[in-house]
Amino acid sequence: MTDAVLQAIRTRRVVRALTDAPVGHDQLRTLLDSARYAPHAGNRRLHRYVVVTRPSLLRAVRMVSPGMLQRPAAAIVVCVDWAQVHSYGFSTANPGPYIDVGTAAATLLLAAHSTGLGAGPVTSFSRAALATILNLPTGVRPELIICLGHAAAGQPPAVRRRGGPRWDDLIQWERG
Amino acid sequence: MTPETEEKSGRVLDEGDGVELLAYLVTAARTQLDEAAEYAPMRLLTAARRLAEMAEPNASARLRPLLRDIRQGCSETAVQAGDPAGYVERLDALCRTVAEYLVRSLGLDRSP
Repeated sequence: MTDAVLQAIRTRRVVRALTDAPVGHDQLRTLLDSARYAPHAGNRRLHRYVVVTRPSLLRAVRMVSPGMLQRPAAAIVVCVDWAQVHSYGFSTANPGPYIDVGTAAATLLLAAHSTGLGAGPVTSFSRAALATILNLPTGVRPELIICLGHAAAGQPPAVRRRGGPRWDDLIQWERG
Repeated sequence: MTPETEEKSGRVLDEGDGVELLAYLVTAARTQLDEAAEYAPMRLLTAARRLAEMAEPNASARLRPLLRDIRQGCSETAVQAGDPAGYVERLDALCRTVAEYLVRSLGLDRSP
């Protein structure tokens, strides 16, 4: 079990080229169910998940998402219900809801990988435009999109950087 | 008649493609306020690439090679930090390709 989890973590990649093949409803259900198990502070359920599979809606989502290089067959939009956040007394500056978007996204990406789907996160999109396109309730803001589909044969290269720190240089053991 | 209009210039974009590009550009202006500065040229190049993809099927034979060069000119995921000098060189090369097309298509290489 542990090996399988580590294997999934190590082999997952951001998939930026997808085929036209559709993503099944059951697969989407599996992914959404996995997000339930993502660690969320206080189990407050401050997040909302919007599933998009309609081609015309997907096209509109992509139009307002400059960071969406792929043409997904489906997408899950992770939203934060900011009205709920504020009702718990959190200030706007509290990063907790964003951290939980990250844990949900990581879980969804791994779940997609385990079901054989290609997936990639997108954060470069207009929150205002996407909320309008998805007709989200007031106070619910889209924060991250998980693009889903079946990986195409050829993928764009991963983002490369030169001269960055080594991995071990990013880690501090005990007091610095 | 100027040289660029000697070859019939037809419509290369349909309305849907135009709207798609318009939406991309407006929303990219907004997202750029929050994004790393290194993404700015990448977003512009993505727009150029998408415009080239949209236009290519209806473009003239003369324009098509330029559109292909633009599509292939820069990787979608390339950032300057990956290869700073190479990135500038590739963009300069793409700019020269565009300029050479302009010189030819506008007849600037002919005597006035």
